Amino acid sequence: MANSKVTDIIFRMIQTDHLTFQYKKTDRVFRFPDITLSKQEHLLILGESGIGKTTFLHLLAGILKPNTGKVVINNVDITTLKANKLDLFRGQNIGLVFQKKHAITSLNVLENLEAHLFFSEKSKHLNKIETVLSQLDLLDFKTSKVNALSEGQLQRLGIALAVIHEPQVILADEPTSSLDDTNCKKVIELLIEQAAQTQANLIVITHDHRIKSYFQNTITL
Amino acid sequence: MNIWKISIQNIKTKPLYTFLSVCILALSITLLLGIQQLKNGFKNQIETNLGKIDLVIGAKGSPLQLVLASVLHLDNPTGNISYAEANKIAKNPRIKLAVPISYGDNYKGYRIVGTTPDFLTIYNAELETGRPVKAAMEVVLGATVAKKLNIKVGDTFLSSHGLVENIMDVHDDVLTVVGVLKPTQKVIDRLIVTNLESVWDVHHHEDETAEHHSEHHHHETDNGEKEITSLLITFKSPRSLLTFPRKINISTNMQAALPKYELHKLYEYTSIGFKTISWIAYLILVMSCLTIFISLYKMVKERAFDLAILRTYGASNFQLIRMVLYEGLIIVFLAFLLGYIFVKMGLTIALHFISSNYQQNILEELPFMEDVLHLGALVLLMVVASALLAIYPIIKMNISTILSHEK
Repeated sequence: MANSKVTDIIFRMIQTDHLTFQYKKTDRVFRFPDITLSKQEHLLILGESGIGKTTFLHLLAGILKPNTGKVVINNVDITTLKANKLDLFRGQNIGLVFQKKHAITSLNVLENLEAHLFFSEKSKHLNKIETVLSQLDLLDFKTSKVNALSEGQLQRLGIALAVIHEPQVILADEPTSSLDDTNCKKVIELLIEQAAQTQANLIVITHDHRIKSYFQNTITL
Repeated sequence: MNIWKISIQNIKTKPLYTFLSVCILALSITLLLGIQQLKNGFKNQIETNLGKIDLVIGAKGSPLQLVLASVLHLDNPTGNISYAEANKIAKNPRIKLAVPISYGDNYKGYRIVGTTPDFLTIYNAELETGRPVKAAMEVVLGATVAKKLNIKVGDTFLSSHGLVENIMDVHDDVLTVVGVLKPTQKVIDRLIVTNLESVWDVHHHEDETAEHHSEHHHHETDNGEKEITSLLITFKSPRSLLTFPRKINISTNMQAALPKYELHKLYEYTSIGFKTISWIAYLILVMSCLTIFISLYKMVKERAFDLAILRTYGASNFQLIRMVLYEGLIIVFLAFLLGYIFVKMGLTIALHFISSNYQQNILEELPFMEDVLHLGALVLLMVVASALLAIYPIIKMNISTILSHEK
């Protein structure tokens, strides 16, 4: 009996429990549904603007601290971590993909990936950079400044940055909303492919219904 | 990849701001170091050149002029005094050392001083080559003189009359170099030292041949009494300084001047200028710190998103603070390097200019490591303070807000 409970917990990679959040100087309290994902299980969170999608994602990433409830990733309740520990935990276990901006403008493509591995203390993955860049069709732009990349290339760099350190969880905030259909398809397929390669959970929050078909689990806020 | 590398890249992306910050900071460092160097050089010259001289006795006139002429060998002497009278004073039991000096001639702008062998002991000067002066018309050269004029033991030259170089008025008597002194960093380096007789002889001959000068320094009066320019005195006890000068000033037609006091007064006059420039330099330093602050603050504010992204890479607040601080440090380093080069270049040019024009480089180049360290600490402190101020927004930074405003 005890054994089965342990395995039960281990297989739950991500779990949230009665998460609520309230922005300062506002009355509205956001309440979020509990989610439980086992290893390599993906989730699409749909919702209209202003419903608190990004807030939820930031709570999952430990960027915001909830008023109540907990976020457990890989058996660690990140809401209890101290600031520095949380930063490192985020750097090591979570990959973030944003809608438009993804990287530091003062560094080039390669340097951004190196900086990520430096801060997440995963320099052993340095030799992976070339592979990831070639998979994402970015090898020719290795030394390009971030500003010089096209929107599609930027989005692919965002994916590279989100997977280079082999995180447990990839969190994507509207990754496809500003893309045309072709690029949208390309990006979501790449995301799923990379998540599979690193054996990570992929959680996408979006109002973009075009990518609904790629997910088995969907919740609507 | 490390934080330094990111800081360097950050700096590279804003070359104009960096250039501005470095230039302004370098300017203030140059001024501060330069003024300190000049001040120290000046002070050092005054202090070391005093040597063991407690008192100068010479003809009545400006005491400062007497001291400048007899101790720093810069100005014209106030006149001559009787050698016999000077000798009488020199016999006073309270006097440890009394050195008569006599002027009148120069060689290529370097003053020829007629004196006694004790003159060398005032400056602790030692011979590098050759031997001391034994007879009239023999000279020992200061280190700078020998080096600049490229003359050595055994060489001979003709002196010119007066204290300024001229070709119109050359004496016939040949002076022979018998020794060269080791460098002392004191005024004696720039002097040509001979005995009193040489000076008297040269002018004695001239008086016989022709009287062609109205401003001629007569070293012998009509009745044949020998004269000198001044008498440099070292006391056995500093207590004598209280009464001795007064006695001279009242009871003789000579004056006694305290070089320490006179030169301190001179230093006080000039230090107003030094102070003014120092204040301006400090003001520029504050300005440059403000520029650095604005530059870093702007970076932190404008590139808040970049900083937020770095946080998602796993960087802690502390690491970001270090990144901004390193940027400040790189600017300080570059500015210091530039400032140091400017000062070195400026001083070299200035020293060259001064010495080639006047043969009187009162300001010599000194080792200034201590100043560099002091100033370095100050600049570092101020820049770190500016950087820390600029960092404040990082600490207050809400990465969630920044990241959700990206759209």
